[in-house]
Amino acid sequence: MKARRWIVVTVFALVGIGAWYLRPATGETAGANLFTYPYSVDDLPNGLRLVTVPTDYPNMVALYIVVRAGSRDEVEPGKSGYAHLFEHLMFRGSENFTPRQRDDIMKRAGADTNASTNQDRTTYYVVFSKEDLDEVMKVEADRFQRLKYAEPAFKTESLAVLGEYNKNSAEPTQKLDEALYETAFTRHTYAHTTMGYLEDVQDMPNQYAYSLEFYKRFYTPEYATVLLVGDVTRERALELTKTYFGGWARGSYAPNIPAEPRQTEPRTAHVDWPSPTLPWVAVAFKGPAYSDTAKDKPALDLLSPMAFGPNSDLYKQLVLEEQKVDDLGADFGNHPDPELFTVYARVKNVKDLDGVRDRILATFARFTREPVDQAKLDATRSRMRYSFALRMNSSPAIAAALAPYILLTRTPDTINKVFALYQQVTPDDMRTMAAKYFTDNNRTIVTLTPKAGTK
Amino acid sequence: MSRRLALVAVAAVLLQPLTFTQSASVVQPGTSPLIVFRILFTTGSASDPAGKEGLASLAAAMLAEGGSRSRTYQQIVEAMYPMATSVNWQVDKEMTVFTGTSHVENLDGFYALMRDMLLDPGFRQDDFTRVRDDAVNFLKVSLRESNDEELGKEYLYDLIYAGHPYGHHNRGTIASLQKLTIDDVRAFYREHFTRANLVVGLAGGYPKGLDAKVESDFAALPAGTASKKTFDAPPMPAGSTIAIVTRDTRSTAISMGFPIDVNRSSPDWPALAVATSYFGQHRSSNSYLYGRLREARGLNYGDYAYVEYFPRGMFQFTPDPNLARQQQIFQIWIRPVEVNTGVFTLRAALYEYGKLVRDGLSREAFEATREFLTKYSNILTQTQSARLGYALDSRYYRIGDYNTYLRDALAKLSADDVNRAIQRHLAPNRMRIVIVTKDPKPFQDAVARNTPSPITYNSPKPKDIMDEDAVIQAYRIDVKPADVTVVPVDKVFQ
Repeated sequence: MKARRWIVVTVFALVGIGAWYLRPATGETAGANLFTYPYSVDDLPNGLRLVTVPTDYPNMVALYIVVRAGSRDEVEPGKSGYAHLFEHLMFRGSENFTPRQRDDIMKRAGADTNASTNQDRTTYYVVFSKEDLDEVMKVEADRFQRLKYAEPAFKTESLAVLGEYNKNSAEPTQKLDEALYETAFTRHTYAHTTMGYLEDVQDMPNQYAYSLEFYKRFYTPEYATVLLVGDVTRERALELTKTYFGGWARGSYAPNIPAEPRQTEPRTAHVDWPSPTLPWVAVAFKGPAYSDTAKDKPALDLLSPMAFGPNSDLYKQLVLEEQKVDDLGADFGNHPDPELFTVYARVKNVKDLDGVRDRILATFARFTREPVDQAKLDATRSRMRYSFALRMNSSPAIAAALAPYILLTRTPDTINKVFALYQQVTPDDMRTMAAKYFTDNNRTIVTLTPKAGTK
Repeated sequence: MSRRLALVAVAAVLLQPLTFTQSASVVQPGTSPLIVFRILFTTGSASDPAGKEGLASLAAAMLAEGGSRSRTYQQIVEAMYPMATSVNWQVDKEMTVFTGTSHVENLDGFYALMRDMLLDPGFRQDDFTRVRDDAVNFLKVSLRESNDEELGKEYLYDLIYAGHPYGHHNRGTIASLQKLTIDDVRAFYREHFTRANLVVGLAGGYPKGLDAKVESDFAALPAGTASKKTFDAPPMPAGSTIAIVTRDTRSTAISMGFPIDVNRSSPDWPALAVATSYFGQHRSSNSYLYGRLREARGLNYGDYAYVEYFPRGMFQFTPDPNLARQQQIFQIWIRPVEVNTGVFTLRAALYEYGKLVRDGLSREAFEATREFLTKYSNILTQTQSARLGYALDSRYYRIGDYNTYLRDALAKLSADDVNRAIQRHLAPNRMRIVIVTKDPKPFQDAVARNTPSPITYNSPKPKDIMDEDAVIQAYRIDVKPADVTVVPVDKVFQ
């Protein structure tokens, strides 16, 4: 099941765990590490970090710039959606390159360039031929340090964001998620989606001054990591990063993200959908934040496909045998703060909605009592390992896999640390963690059904 | 990580003619530990028998999402679970492809499962009920009620190809699906999943002899006769039309297009590829239409143009291979706009299309677009699976390696060639326009009375935009009032 909260400017399929590539690097033992590409980490005095991963995919280079600014950082009321708005504004020109000039350079380079935003980060990328590395770095560096857009261009671009809201708005799960997160979170900024509330999006054209402030806060070197993957050497990457990003002035802003108080009661919400659709139910529990030292999240990461994946008992019953559900899956991403472990089901007949909800709840409850089968756990570890190996099929794919971990810890090393934790998780750990997090008072259920009268 | 080196050194694209005894293959041996299979059958929804629309898709779904004779689907899922693999399917008008990628360490196990799924299907009734439900719900809910853009784009094809073998959605219609039986699937499988239609695609660091083994295993399929036949241009009358699909939605989605007598094997294809990339490169800010509608005016999220079928474009940046067709359309995709700017945006798109036909590309725009496409083909084919897919398509179109073909063709091209191709292929007055919106009236009025559709902005605009807007707001939509139809969404794909 796709992670539903992504702003789809670019879709990077999130996989629970990162780069499990199987080939050991020289001198390493197979299986000791997950991410076995040699890489280097270089810190500039201004706080910018460069991660370089040379691969033997020839000619192409993927430049990813990960900025630690997402909808989580939108702390002021009425200002949801600004991290995402910024993703758009970054294409509106900089001091030395108008949008047209940037476009011309990218066009001549035959580059693939875009960006995406989620709760925690904004990721910008360019994929291009290695001979264009210098010019691409120069153009990219300019907009990160010297973005320049006039108010009319700002207002026009905010309408393109509204257009993005519009194109998403026909999809019922967008609304389902909006309701789920604002019900589950009362103070933390995870309460609003990355897209933001419609009224905030509609107000964006009036917020030019605020947008400049947002740029000043987050588009500073200590919030950014430059990731270069492909046909590139560390020396060249470092030289160009120093040349073009070395003068970037460090910032001073630290957002005060409100902690979510402990939930003390089960919560529910319902969405009446105006047109015909199949009903949905989302059952969510607040889960642990990402960590490469605690077992909590790795234990639940492993449980997720075992309890709700295509090989789970529940899937077999609801989707294959009884055929009451045509889409079932869990979403449990890696985040710096505790987020949701959510199971989504699309139900074929509204009369089965409550029954399906109860079966999902019973499955959560079952794993708080019963240890999982050791053989299934081993199969799940194998699945995760190969699923990542299968993704490592190009330099941009490797960069896309690394970017979420770069956001969390600014180094690919965390992948190997968390892999070590996955190896240590036991069936008993999984039962313990399920019992710790899957409690009634930690739960939010949201349903969506077509409004009465629609066919 | 090791893999085969040169992006363009696609190995043996075998242009051998199909015979009844020998299956064809496209192999790209290399050293990657990831082994890619693309098992292609040159059959698809254009071969659906009349009244049994959706059968080709259902047959493919039964193979990939149903059990084999020896294993239930659940057992297959369980066996593939630790390998993190699956067999995926895609059906288009003339092609059906099954894809799967296995790590070399799991190759034997994966291949044995896939082989049984494709060669010895179980055709169980419970699998049939499930995959047919999925097809119905795809049309009824996912397409009609959750994605106005894809709804409009797919309905456009239905309209253009009305009365043609391409004239129904690949998944069928809701009515036809409800009549299909498992015996229909069996019969379709026997007739079309044959050696005559088979091309085996294989890439990666597979062990020596695997290609021969796959060919020999798949020789168990019946010889059959090739499904591929000649598909004529659609019988579409001249003059433009508008179909307004009405549903309860907050915005307005617009798609338009018309058939062209050009596909990837045609001499004018590279020229049209340049013209459409310039006018509306998919999901790129680097295109003319996007610049005028989104960047200058903020009308929507994006505006693009195509000369090949490109489904699911809102979810992906590059097209899936193995959607090769003899017949293609030129298409303009206008992403959803606010209801009150719908008519203006339609006029703006038609106005810009008119300018493309009238003015063509400047030499500078041509040079930049040619350079872009020459390099961008490396992005399109950067994964092993994509390279294999493109090679299979190249075999179908008989054009040799795609990147080499495109690079060579572009090198020989001039701006004049492109502009002549625009005149030859993109200038007919027979646009089919599909609008998905809540209220058809503003569009009906604009056509019937040429009611102007002025636009206001939230910020000052340069004079050239304001001057152009004055023209666009009253730009004549060249459609007769009688050729504007309103279609409630529950009649679409019905």
